[in-house]
Amino acid sequence: MQILSTLSKIAVRIPLFLWSIIVVFPLVWMFIGAFKTNAEIFSSPWSWPQQWNLNNFVAAWSNYNIGTAFLNSLFVTILGSLLCLLFAIPTAYALERLRFKGSDVLLNTYLASMMLPSVLGWIPLFFLLLKFNMLDNLWALSLVYAVSQIPFTIFILVSFMGNVPRELEEAAAIDGMSPYGILLKIVTPLVKSGIITATILNAISFWNEYFLALILLDTKSKNTLGVAMDLLKTSARYESAWGVLFAGLCIAVIPVIIFYSIFQRHIVKGMTEGAIK
Amino acid sequence: MQLDSLYPYVERVIDVVQSKTQKYLFLAFCLLPTFIMFCIFTVYPMIGGLYYSFFKWSGTSSVMEFIGFDNYTRMLSDSVILRAIINDYLFVFIKVFGIMILALFFAVALTQLRIKEAPFYRIVFFFPNIMSVVVIGILWQFIYDPNIGLVNGLLRAIGLEEWARPWLGDMTWALPSVSIPAIWAGIGLFMLLLMGGITNISKSLYEAAEIDGASEWQQFWKITVPLIWPQIKTSIIYIVITSLNGSFVLVQVMTAGGPGVATEVMGSYLYQKAFEDFQFGYGAAIGVLILVLSLVSVIILQVLLKKEKVEY
Repeated sequence: MQILSTLSKIAVRIPLFLWSIIVVFPLVWMFIGAFKTNAEIFSSPWSWPQQWNLNNFVAAWSNYNIGTAFLNSLFVTILGSLLCLLFAIPTAYALERLRFKGSDVLLNTYLASMMLPSVLGWIPLFFLLLKFNMLDNLWALSLVYAVSQIPFTIFILVSFMGNVPRELEEAAAIDGMSPYGILLKIVTPLVKSGIITATILNAISFWNEYFLALILLDTKSKNTLGVAMDLLKTSARYESAWGVLFAGLCIAVIPVIIFYSIFQRHIVKGMTEGAIK
Repeated sequence: MQLDSLYPYVERVIDVVQSKTQKYLFLAFCLLPTFIMFCIFTVYPMIGGLYYSFFKWSGTSSVMEFIGFDNYTRMLSDSVILRAIINDYLFVFIKVFGIMILALFFAVALTQLRIKEAPFYRIVFFFPNIMSVVVIGILWQFIYDPNIGLVNGLLRAIGLEEWARPWLGDMTWALPSVSIPAIWAGIGLFMLLLMGGITNISKSLYEAAEIDGASEWQQFWKITVPLIWPQIKTSIIYIVITSLNGSFVLVQVMTAGGPGVATEVMGSYLYQKAFEDFQFGYGAAIGVLILVLSLVSVIILQVLLKKEKVEY
């Protein structure tokens, strides 16, 4: 029996191990490729680089617009996440704590909108921004991002706000604190962990976003990472600058890896809850 | 319990402290700005999409011609649409089976078998879920590259030279090749969802089954699967919705629908029609088609996957 169970444990580990390789190997291959010259990538795609130099990273950053795009992505990620909180926190509080006619309807409207294909709205959205002269504008893109994540953020925050003890709010109200003060100084700090969870997921989705940026941005100096990476891919194909493309991919992925290693628990929690909804 | 009994009293306290006007003002402050933004950037575009689908419009300001259902009848005779719908559902099919089988296997292995390094696998398997679709798409284009790619390199290394091919340029192999990265990037999330379900199953059920002489295989089908059915159902529906609404991003990055229309899906066709050919009315009609098909699919799935709630 003992031998049999040991054997079956080994047998189960084989697919687990294989899948780990399938996940990790392409990423390792990408990192190693980023240090190789083009000639090396073609002659020996599997080997280690002859010398570890950062030329590809420098070229991607400055010659292929990845540096600017990195900063643009950082801008829309931060601004989008902040705006989203600004919109979602008060509404989540009102929906969870202040009873009013239609609060369930409103909450369900927000939740149901998460199921709709956003692609249907992209054509009118494009012309709306065109009309208000907001195309090719990073501020406008951040606003669009923020609004797109309002329902998800409300959904996460409502469940966290349910756990805030009512007595605290009541005590503050009796002490003469205004409802605005209660929301800002009592409730918001208490749902910090919900805010962190939602914000991390929002930030990742803004950082990774590609299609809206492709449609709503135009000039090269405004491009975010997704669009810039796609352009880099096209020019890398003509110039066979594969090493630079690998380096660009690394620049786009490294912040996500750092984020993931710090906030792993929050990310997992937020995503699984978001999917259960 | 204590809170509930206090509740009416507490409600009155708040009413005494704050006037009605104050209360409504605060409510408006909380709800209105957010709702207005939501209407402008989410509700209006959705309704606008529906509205534009009845027009012929190239995007230039004045010429917007009402043509009724012509865009929809045009879809009926457009062979690419049919191909795109079939491809969309092929993607859904491959993804649901690929992701569910692997995720279920990994979830069971990582929860039931007391593997020491389980957290390592969990962290690694989940990581691709948070990578950008563009990065995934470009990375996998490399993996499929006919000359320097990993797949062909591996096939040559193990002596299956004749299997090597330009995967993404091959009429038959392009579609499955594009769905593999979607599975690669999707498994982690669903594995975690299923693991959540499995850890909630009481250990005593398995012990009782063991005493009754049930094999591990029987235990899996008779205990695990019925008890995590809600999670399985949620996962399948979630995969179907996200695939119909969003698989085109990966397609657009990796193949742009090619070769020919071999990997064209509704979303990528919408993008090409609207933002490359400037047929915005027709593009909007494709958007409505996506909406209708994804809603219908969810309703059908809800019925198909319905099962009496199991409790032991």
